[in-house]
Order: sequence, then C-alpha cells, then structure tokens
Amino acid sequence: MPPESPGEISQLGIIGVIVLLLLFYGGTMWMSVVISRKKENADDYMTAGNKIGFGVSAASMTATWIWASSMYASVTAGYTYGVSGPIHYGLWGALMILFIYPFGKRIRKVAPKAHTLAEVMYARHGRSSQLMLAGSNVLGSVISLTSNFIAGGAIIAMLSPLSFGAGIVIIAAGVLLYTLWSGFRASVLTDFAQVLAMLGAAVIIIPAVFFVVGGPQMFADGVAAGHVTPQQESFFSSDAFMNQGAPYIAAVLAYAIGNQTIAQRLFAVREDLIKPTFITATIGYGATVIGIGMLGVMALYLGVEPMGGDVNNLLPQMVGTYLPVGLVALAFIMIIGSLSSTADSDLSALSSIVMTDIYGQSVGRTKVNPKLMLLIGRITMIVATAAALFFATAKFNILDLLVFVGALWGCLVFPVIASFYWKKVTNKAFTVSVIVALVVFLPVRFTLIPLTGAWGFAVEALAILGVGVVLGIMAFGFFGLRPALVIGIVSTLAVLPFGFGYLRDFETLSGSLVAYSVSFLVCYLMSVRSSQNFDFAVIGTITGDFDEEDEASDQPSEAGGTPPADEISAPAGR
Amino acid sequence: MTALLTVYLLMWPVLVLGVLITIVRGFAKDVKEARAEGRQII
Repeated sequence: MPPESPGEISQLGIIGVIVLLLLFYGGTMWMSVVISRKKENADDYMTAGNKIGFGVSAASMTATWIWASSMYASVTAGYTYGVSGPIHYGLWGALMILFIYPFGKRIRKVAPKAHTLAEVMYARHGRSSQLMLAGSNVLGSVISLTSNFIAGGAIIAMLSPLSFGAGIVIIAAGVLLYTLWSGFRASVLTDFAQVLAMLGAAVIIIPAVFFVVGGPQMFADGVAAGHVTPQQESFFSSDAFMNQGAPYIAAVLAYAIGNQTIAQRLFAVREDLIKPTFITATIGYGATVIGIGMLGVMALYLGVEPMGGDVNNLLPQMVGTYLPVGLVALAFIMIIGSLSSTADSDLSALSSIVMTDIYGQSVGRTKVNPKLMLLIGRITMIVATAAALFFATAKFNILDLLVFVGALWGCLVFPVIASFYWKKVTNKAFTVSVIVALVVFLPVRFTLIPLTGAWGFAVEALAILGVGVVLGIMAFGFFGLRPALVIGIVSTLAVLPFGFGYLRDFETLSGSLVAYSVSFLVCYLMSVRSSQNFDFAVIGTITGDFDEEDEASDQPSEAGGTPPADEISAPAGR
Repeated sequence: MTALLTVYLLMWPVLVLGVLITIVRGFAKDVKEARAEGRQII
C-alpha cells in the first residue's frame, strides 16, 4: 500500500540499503571472480576475445546504454513536455545505437581485432587523429562516470538516512571492486545480471504505479484538474521536438562515435552478430527509457510537485510515494543496476584507451609487455574512480557538461566516418577540420558572439547545411552514397525557407549543427583534391592483439585470424 | 483519448518484457554453446 499521508516517501533504512547493496555488489563480485583467470590476457581484458555471443552482447549493449541519468532525464521530459516528452528523449537515444550499426560493421571489417576507435584512427591517419579521438573519449567517460556516481549518491541519500558522500563512495567502491580484476569481461558478464534487474523492474514498476494511482481515470482527472496544457497532451508537441528532440537528433551519431563503451562492444561481439545485437539493444533501450519516462507523465497528470523543486527527484519520489517498500527496493536495484553497468563500462573503456592508445601505441605493438599493460589498465581504473569521486563531490553541473561534450563530439563525426570509406581523407584534413569545427562551435554554443547580423546569418547558413550533413550521414550508413546525397541536399533545401531568422534562437541545436557542417566542409575541401589513395587493408595489419598468450590458455587456438604481432611490421612513419 | 493514453503507457513494459525474454534466451544459448565447446562463456 502507498503511504497514508501524501508526500511521504517510503525509505529503505540503513540496514535495508546496505543489505541490497551487499547483495547487488556481492553478486556481481562473485560473477567477476567466477570468470577470473590466474593469468589475465591483456586483449581479453579489453575486448573479451572478439567473439561474444548474442545473449551476452545484447544484454551488455542494452545495460551500458541505459544509465541512471537517462532514466532521470526521461522522467523529467515526461513531466515537462507531457506524453511526447519521453519519446523525444528515449527514441533518439535508441536510434543512436541503430544508426551506428552499419558503420560499426564497416569499422569491424577493416579492423577486426582493434580495441578502440582511436587505435583505428592511428592506423588510418596517425598519432594526432588518434589522440584527438582518444582525448574526447576520455573526457566523455570521466563525465559519464561522475554522473553515475552522483546519481548513486543521490538515490542512496533519498531512500536511506545515509549521506550523499557515503553513497558515492559505496557506489564507486562497489563498481571498482568487481571491474578491476577481470576488466571488460567482468563488465560484460555482470551486465547480464544488471539488465535482468533493470528490465525486470521496469516491467513491474510502470504498470504498478499506473494502477495504484487510479489507472485510466488518472488521465481524465488530470485534464479536468487543469494539470496539463494542450501541448503536453499532444503526441506531436512542437515544444517537445524543438527543445528536446531536435538537439538529440543532431547528437545521435556524435554520442555513438564519441563513446568508447559502444566501440568496445562493437569490437567484442562476434562479427556476424553485430546487427541483431544492435537492433535488440535499440528496442531494449528505447522501450525501457521511454517506459520509465511514463512515470514523469503520470506525475504531470497527477499534479505532483517535485520534492525541493528538483525534477531529478521525481523518479524516486513517484516510486517511494506510491509503491510498497518491496517495490521501492526493486526500483532501487533498477537504478543501482543502471548506473553500475554504465560505470563499469566507462572504467573498462578508460582502461582500454590508456592501455592501447597511450601505452600500446607509444611503445609499439611488438614491444608491449602484457603484464605491464594490464597493470596500467588497472591503475587507470583506480585513478579514474578517484577523479570521478572528486568531480562528484565538487558537484559540477553534469548534464550541462554532457550536452557540451555531445556537441563537441559532433566535430568528429564526419571526419571519423569519412575516414573509413573515403581513401582521400588525410591526417591533416582530419585534424584541421576537427579543430576548425571546434573553433566555430564554441562561440555559437555559448553565444560568445551575439547571433545577429552577418554572424547570425552565417551561423544559420551553416546550421541549415548541418541538417543535411546529419541526415545525409545517417542515410549513407543504410543506403549508400547516392541516396545519402539526395537526402542531404533535399533536407538542406527543405530547411532553407524557415531556417534563417529562426535557428539562432536555439543555440544548443545550432552549435551542434555547425559542428557537423564545418567539419564536413573543411574535411571535404581539404581531401577532395588530395592524391592519397589509402589502402584500408593496412588498418587490419596495424591493429591487433598485444598479448600473444593466446586466450589465457583455456581456449583452443583458431585457424586463420590475425597473424602474430611479431610477423607484422607497422608501415614506416607510424 | 483515455484508452489511447492507457495503451500508449502500458505498451512500453510489454515491449521491455519481449526484449528481456529475447536476451535471456540468447544468454541461455550462449551458455549451452560454451559448455558444449568446453570454454568459459566469456
């Protein structure tokens, strides 16, 4: 039964929270120990041998992409924009996974044994491109890690007498403990248990709250009480699209390209299972996050006021107010599962980047010491956890940082994708296009120069072109060059009539679009006359295993595959 | 409108359940294959 007095929140108590956390982290730690090896293999620590099956990889992709912030943000979207709000958060987030899969197949084809996207950029272009991509990946993962710790601290503080500080330390310690030993392998396997908890809880909690608050009658009562506006009642709210959906569409490809956790799973899954894995994760993420967002829609119709005026409190508030303590515990595990699965993926991603892109490529693949490499990976996890704890206590505005980094990644999308298909793209074109796009993006995003006069006109022209670039790249992945050109040109022309004098009012959206268009223009113009005719087969020979201790001795060696590192010599200049 | 909103709200947990079943079946298949080949699942 729900609490008798309105506004009262069911608390789990210190003992309840500690027991749940012990069960959760004890269970994940046990799974990590079960798969641990006396002698861990450095490559498996990063990609688990490049042949994970469908069940594990689909669970892992889904669990990693659903993080606590996405649940909170979807609830906020439902509460703010009404029935279409969660769609304009969850649908575009889900499409991020779907739209990257055709590119993922191409990336995997040219670099079947790679560990990070930045490593592939090193093979394609060289050190500067690699470090630019690796740097943006590190920034994104540290911010994501921080955000998950903050979400954990907040939920523990709300549902128990423990403080926020105690909460973030418990979460950080729990995640680090089970990830440290087996790295990516532990992250992926525990994702299965975490996805069971998350998806299972979503299946129960959403209808449970719905029927407890009155079922279908709630909608009629909410409208009669004047709790919702016509825009909030509409499935086609322009407010929801322009303020929430459109900036997300622009970020669709950027997040998937800039996020090493996705790339890591792309390199880990068996190559023929990439498509079903990505499609399952797309539906799993979309349905879960949009479904959880319905709690925000219900809060809106019920006229619920967020505790302390903070919409981030709505999710635990709705659950704690209307559900019995057993289901509150289930919701608690759902949130802890979502943040832990993403946090362990971020730790694994960060360690892979440092192991591969900082250590591995600096000493050369044939000279790597696998033991030292593993040690570096584990130290990276500890340092990253400490850094994220520091940022979490400093209470930066994480969502602002995430939006900023997402747009920042927009500068990289065209140069990265073009580098996998177009032989003419040079290292110089990649590097200069990203830097120039960044230089134009920053004043637009933060309105450092008022968007008026010639500058406002130029920014809008670039943003209009950016619409064509974004949609053209998306179409290219599925349909190829010619349809992509048609879609890109038609969509740019379609936005022309109303884009001028309009887009300047949406600086977040314009900033993202400008990042795409400028990087596209510079990269294209610098490459189109280049005489480079890159051989993509070279990438497969430069990227590959670091640790020749094959599969930690529990695996029979396979015929074929990548030749041993000492048989491969990197091209001159690498 | 109330009926439409109810279907709209409740369709998501049904979809989630479908994905959950797909993942669990896939995981069981992974376990079976790993056992048959005498290796760890991951």
